[in-house]
Amino acid sequence: MSDRDDSTILQGRIIEYLRSRLPDATDLTLQNVQRIAVGWSHETWLFDLDYRTAGEARHLGLCLRRDPGNALLRHLSDLEQQFCVLQCLEHTALPTPKPYWFERDTAILDAPFLVMEKVRGSCPNPWGRDGRAYYQAAAERGALPKSFTTTLATMHTLDWRAAGLDFLGVPAAGTDFARREISKWRELIALSEHSPEPILTDLICWLEDNIPATDRVTLVHGAYRTGNFLIHDDQISAVLDWELQVLGDPMYDVAYVLSDLNREGTPLLSNLVEREAFFRDYEAATGFVIDEAACRYYNALYAMRSVAFWMSASGLYAAGRSNDIRLARTAWSVPVVLERAARDLGY
Amino acid sequence: MTEDELLQRIAQTLKQEIGPAIDAEYPKTQAFMAGVVLQKLSRQLGVAARHQAAERADLDALLADLNHTARDLPLPAEMQTSLERLTRDRNKAAVCGLIEALYSSRNALGAEHFTVLLARVRQTLRANIDRQVEYAA
Repeated sequence: MSDRDDSTILQGRIIEYLRSRLPDATDLTLQNVQRIAVGWSHETWLFDLDYRTAGEARHLGLCLRRDPGNALLRHLSDLEQQFCVLQCLEHTALPTPKPYWFERDTAILDAPFLVMEKVRGSCPNPWGRDGRAYYQAAAERGALPKSFTTTLATMHTLDWRAAGLDFLGVPAAGTDFARREISKWRELIALSEHSPEPILTDLICWLEDNIPATDRVTLVHGAYRTGNFLIHDDQISAVLDWELQVLGDPMYDVAYVLSDLNREGTPLLSNLVEREAFFRDYEAATGFVIDEAACRYYNALYAMRSVAFWMSASGLYAAGRSNDIRLARTAWSVPVVLERAARDLGY
Repeated sequence: MTEDELLQRIAQTLKQEIGPAIDAEYPKTQAFMAGVVLQKLSRQLGVAARHQAAERADLDALLADLNHTARDLPLPAEMQTSLERLTRDRNKAAVCGLIEALYSSRNALGAEHFTVLLARVRQTLRANIDRQVEYAA
């Protein structure tokens, strides 16, 4: 069966599902159906739903994410948790897509899925030439870099308890946050069944020996960078990719912003923001002082996380759980990240 | 034609002929990516013999240095056991075991000896990763 046939069948099943969710609706049709080829985890479908209710024509832009069960993050990537996070964030100042429904019943679309609002905006790929040019031009205009920093500050200052996000797990003050992260990525590495890597062992031992203590606990996105949010009129219209979020040290996100992994040959953080402006605006908006020593530590922790991702990805291909050759290719990303980690550790 | 040259040719065919002939985005990307994978495998295969020889020599030198140190400075039991295991098994798992033992023996070794021993192990790790990056990057 071709991809086109698969897509047509899936669209029919999606309409059936939406009919069950909107019992008063008639004449349901899907327009502009598009499977977007991004990410390593869940299938993402965008479409417009046109229907009539009480004689009136209605329109709803929707995004459906389906979990085929071979996500790079394995059991650590949970669509139901993503849905709950979006529900918690719906009434906060952080721009996020409105969540509509989550279904774990695989009889509906063969896999668990969530349906959320299709937010207006675009998400240029920061790794491509066009994307880099886009962010460069936006950096020169100035509004988007400001929005980048204020949106992060909004996330780090929102009242996560009031929003109900404590189900994510609240780390104790001290070293608990980093310990939890190390333990999570250790687990993913073990699941990958990758052969032992001495530099990784060195890195993990070093991380365990040098954990910074912190009593700051905020919502942490875990992958806050260009490419993981939508942009409309030079403003962030929605923060996406709620797969790695945790409660913990906001410096974990700041370290990701500062990392040179997320910029391609430009001094601009995340291809977008001047370092000095980021420090100034972030500190003013949050009241936090950026702790560069903690950021360096978290940068090393990101190296461990990246190795865990690539070991997991190549392991999924090797085990026959995915046929996506992009995953096989990540086996060669492991030594590249480890070489960088060795340099970070001073050798 | 050697095996690595053959893989290199297939990679080129995938990237330059098969991939461009495919219209649909997903299979086109897959064809290109298969070319990338074969290219990396080809490079890895091409240097494998030289790398294995260098790896063996580096491990011999590391073991000689560590055993020399162990004669001058009695190692904590855990370190000694992991060194014996590395001498016997000569594999990555045993190197990992040695590193773990080194860190957990840190107090017993004292900061100075810990730093010296870790630097020596890291010298071997650095040489090894530099070799891997030759084909992986």
